[in-house]
Amino acid sequence: MTATAAEPAVDARGLVKVFERGRRTFWQRLRGEPDRRERFHAVDGIDLRVERGEIFGLLGPNGAGKTTTMKMLATLLIPTSGTISVLGIDVLARPRDVRARLGAMLSGERSLYWKLTARENLEYFAALYHVPPRQTRARIDDALTSVKLLDRADDYVERYSTGMRQRLALARALLPDPPLVILDEPTVGLDPQAARDLRARVRELRSQGRTVLLTTHYMEEADQLCDRVAIIDHGRIVALDTPGALKRTIRAEEVVRLEIGLADDGAAVLERLGRSATVARSERHNGTLAVTAHCASARDFVPAAFDAARSAGATIQHVEVVPVTLEDVFISLTGRALRE
Amino acid sequence: MSLLAADARAFVAAARKELRMWRRYPLFILGLLFWPIVLPATWVLMGQAYSGGGDARALAAFAERAGTTEFAGFVFVGYAMYMWLSNLLWGPGTALRQEQIRGSLEAVFLTPTSRLVALFAPPISHLPFSLLNFVTMGLTLWLVFGIVLPLGPVLEAMVVIAIGIPSMYAIGSLFAASVLRFGETGPIVQLVRGTFVLACGITFPLVMLPGWAQAGAALLPPTYIVADIRTVLFRGVGLGGIAIDLVLLLAFAGLITLLAVWVFRILETSARRRGTLGSY
Amino acid sequence: MGELLAELRAGLAIARKHVVTMTRYRVAMISMIFIPLYQGVIPAFLFGAAFAVGGRSLGLASSIGTDNLAGFIFLGGVVSGMIATAFWGMAMSLRNEQDAGTLEPSWLTPSTHETFVIGRAIGGSVLFLLTQIALFAIGMLFFGLRFDIGILRAIPAVLLALLSMVGVAYVLAALVLLLKEANFFIDATNYLFSIASGTAFPVTLLPGVFQPVALALPTTYAMDLLRHDAIGTRTLFDPVVEYVVLIALTAIAYPLGRWVFARADHVMRVRGTVAQY
Ligand SMILES: Nc1ncnc2c1ncn2[C@@H]1O[C@H](COP(=O)(O)OP(=O)(O)OP(=O)(O)O)[C@@H](O)[C@H]1O
Ligand SMILES: [Mg+2]
Repeated sequence: MTATAAEPAVDARGLVKVFERGRRTFWQRLRGEPDRRERFHAVDGIDLRVERGEIFGLLGPNGAGKTTTMKMLATLLIPTSGTISVLGIDVLARPRDVRARLGAMLSGERSLYWKLTARENLEYFAALYHVPPRQTRARIDDALTSVKLLDRADDYVERYSTGMRQRLALARALLPDPPLVILDEPTVGLDPQAARDLRARVRELRSQGRTVLLTTHYMEEADQLCDRVAIIDHGRIVALDTPGALKRTIRAEEVVRLEIGLADDGAAVLERLGRSATVARSERHNGTLAVTAHCASARDFVPAAFDAARSAGATIQHVEVVPVTLEDVFISLTGRALRE
Repeated sequence: MSLLAADARAFVAAARKELRMWRRYPLFILGLLFWPIVLPATWVLMGQAYSGGGDARALAAFAERAGTTEFAGFVFVGYAMYMWLSNLLWGPGTALRQEQIRGSLEAVFLTPTSRLVALFAPPISHLPFSLLNFVTMGLTLWLVFGIVLPLGPVLEAMVVIAIGIPSMYAIGSLFAASVLRFGETGPIVQLVRGTFVLACGITFPLVMLPGWAQAGAALLPPTYIVADIRTVLFRGVGLGGIAIDLVLLLAFAGLITLLAVWVFRILETSARRRGTLGSY
Repeated sequence: MGELLAELRAGLAIARKHVVTMTRYRVAMISMIFIPLYQGVIPAFLFGAAFAVGGRSLGLASSIGTDNLAGFIFLGGVVSGMIATAFWGMAMSLRNEQDAGTLEPSWLTPSTHETFVIGRAIGGSVLFLLTQIALFAIGMLFFGLRFDIGILRAIPAVLLALLSMVGVAYVLAALVLLLKEANFFIDATNYLFSIASGTAFPVTLLPGVFQPVALALPTTYAMDLLRHDAIGTRTLFDPVVEYVVLIALTAIAYPLGRWVFARADHVMRVRGTVAQY
C-alpha cells in the first residue's frame, strides 16, 4: 500500500468544476461558430483536508456544489482544475485504486436493483468490488449486520421501505471494507426515527476507525454528527471548523427571532433594534417584518426591542429566543437562510 | 341535453390533450415516417427473394392464393393496417395506463364528466397519425416501387377505411379498457398486435393459415378491412362486390363498442370496490 | 494476475445478474422467444410459402440456390438474434441502468467500465443461445426445419461475428450513454443493421446505395457462410475470402469499439452524466 496512515483521508487543492449549460450543435461545431454555452462554476476553488478517523460534514444549501465535490472525490467527475488525493492516492492518475478503497453512497434507494434481493444485490457488488470469493459471505453478513438488515436479507428490495433501502445502500458502500466512506445526503427523505438510526450507524463507522465524509443540508445533523464542518455556498467554502467553534464565531450568546407588524418599510425599527443587537437578517412580506437578531442577552434585548417598536409606531407580534445554531452561522456569513 | 353538450366538450378537450402529449416526443414523429416506409419495403424485397425476382410460376402461385400478382401493393396495404393497429394500441392504451399510474385517472373520475369520455376520447388521437401513415405509404409505393394506384379504386378504398373506422375505434377502446386491468401495456400491445399480424393476413394471404385460424380471423374486423382494400385496389371489384363485408364491419363496430363499455363498467366497478383505480 | 481473475469474476457476476433479472421480468422472457416467432419467422414463412409451386419454393431456389425456405428464414433469425443481443442486451441495457440510477454505483466500483459491456456480452450470449435452441426446436417441430450437418462448419464464423458485435456494442453503448433519446435510435439502427446483413433477403437485392454498407458489416459474411454451410446457398464471394474479411472486420471493430467507449466514458465524467436526472 502506498497510502500510509499519516496521510490525510482527503486532500483537495484548488478544486474547480465548470459545467457547460446548453448544447453546442453539430452545425455550430462544423461552422466553427463561437461557443455560446453558459459556463457555470458548480465548484469554484475548494481546498479541503479531511483527517483520518473524523466525521467531516459539508453543509450547504441546494445547489451549493456538495454533490459535485463528492463525485469528483469518487472519480465519477473529472475536475476542470485542481488536485485531489484520497488516502494518499491521486484520484486523476489512479482512479481505480481510489475506488477500491472508497465506500460511497451517493444516490440512495434508486441505486439498487429492486428485482433482486438484498443479498443478491450485495453479492453482485461484492464481485464488482473485487472482494475475494472466500471472504464474500462473511463480508456481506457483516455489512448487513451493521445496518441491521440481516433478517430481511432474502427479501426483494422492491418490498423494502425507503429507510431500509438507504441502509442497504450504506451496506453496499461497506463491502470493500473501506477506510474512507463518503455519504451524500444520507438521511434525506427518511423519517426522524430512521434518520436517527442511520446517524447511529455513521458514528459506529467512526468507532471502527473509518473516516466519514458526508454532505447534508440539515444543520442539526451537521451539528450533532460531525467532528468538523465546512460550510459551502456557491461552490466555495465560506467557513470550516468544529461545530462549536463555528457557533462561537457569532459574537452572541442568544438568537432572538421577532415578527413585527408595521405600516412603513421598517427602516426606522431596524435602525433602533441595531442599537442593542446585531440584526443578522430581516425580511418583509406584506405588513410583517421578520427579524433575526444576535445579542449578548435576550433578557436585556427583548424589552429594548419592544421599546424600539413602540417608538417607531410598530407592534411586535411574536418573539422567540433560541440557542445559536449552525444556521445562524450560515446566515451571518451569507445573509441568506440555509433552506429557502 | 346540456349534460350531453358538456360531455362533448370534455371529449374534445380530452382528445386535444392526447394530441398535445404526442407533440412532446419529436422522435415519435420521426418513427411515424421511418417505420411505414422501411417495414413494408423490407417485405417487398423479401417477396422478390421468394419469387425469384418475379418468376412467372411463383407469381402465379401467389396470385392463386392472394388474388393478385402485385405483391408489393399487397404488402403495403397489409402494413397500412399494421401501422393503424400500432397507433391504435400504443397511444391510447399507454395514455390511459399513464393516467392510472399518475393518479390523474382518479381525478378525471371525480369530475361529473361521463366516465366513458375517458375511455373513448384517447383513441381518436391516433387518427391523424394513421392518415399520415397512409399518405406516406401510398407515396412510397408510387415513388419507390412505381405502382400507381388509379383514383377510382383509391376513393373506394377510402370508403372502406371510413366504414372500418368505427370498428377499429372500438378495438382501441376495448384494448384501453383491458389495459386498466392488466397493468403493463408494452407486452400486451406486442401480443395483441402479433395476433392481428398472424390472423388478419397482414403480410401473407389468409389461405396460408390452417382452417381453425381462418375461422378465428373471420371474427376480427381488420381481416375484412385489409381484404376489402386489396380487393378494390388490385382486383377491380367495386364496392358492390364487398357490400356484405361492409355491413358486417358496421355490425362489428356496434358489438365491440358494447363489449368495451361492458368491460370498462365491470373493471371500474371492481376497481371502485377494491380501491385500485389509482394504483397499479 | 489476481487482478485479472477478480475482473473476470466481476464480468461473470454481471453476466449472471443480466440473466437473472431477465428471467424475473416475465415480459422480457416472453418477448425473447415470441416476438421473433410472432412478428418475424412465422409471417415470413407463410409469405414465402405463398410463392411455392407444388410445395417447392422455386422462386427462392433461383434467388439463393436452395428451396429450403424454413432453413433460410430460421438462419436469418440466428443472425438477427445475435444483432439484437448486441443492440439491446449489451448496449441498451447499460442505458437502462443509467436511467434507473444503478449505473452510478457500478461506476463506483474498481471494476473497469469495459467489464460491464463484456459481462453483458457473456450473459446476452447465453440468453441468445437458449432462445435459438428454443426457436430451432419449434422450427423442426412445426415448420419442417432441416439443416446439413455442415452447419457445424459455420460455428467459427458465428463466433467471429459475435466477437465483432461486441466491438459494435461498445460503440453503441458509447452512443446510447451520451444520447438523450436512445430508444428510437437503437430500435431503428438495429432493424437496419439486421436487414443490411441479409437476414431477411439476400443483400444483392438491396438498393445500390446500401450495398457498400452491407459489405462493411461483419454479420453479412457470417450470415452468408452460415447459410452456405447449413443449407447450401450460393455465397457472395469465395468462402475463404469471406472468412478473411470477417476476421479483418472483427480485428478492426473490437479495438475501435473499445476506444470509442473509453472516449464516451471520459465525456460522461466531464459532463457529469453518469447518473441522468
Ligand atoms: N451534470 C451537470 N451538468 C450541469 N450542471 C450541473 C450538473 N450537475 C450539477 N450541476 C449544477 O451544479 C450546481 C451544484 O450542484 P450540486 O448537485 O453539486 O449541488 P448540491 O450542493 O449537491 O445541492 P443539493 O443540496 O440540491 O443536492 C447546481 O446548480 C447544479 O444545477
Ligand atoms: Mg446534492
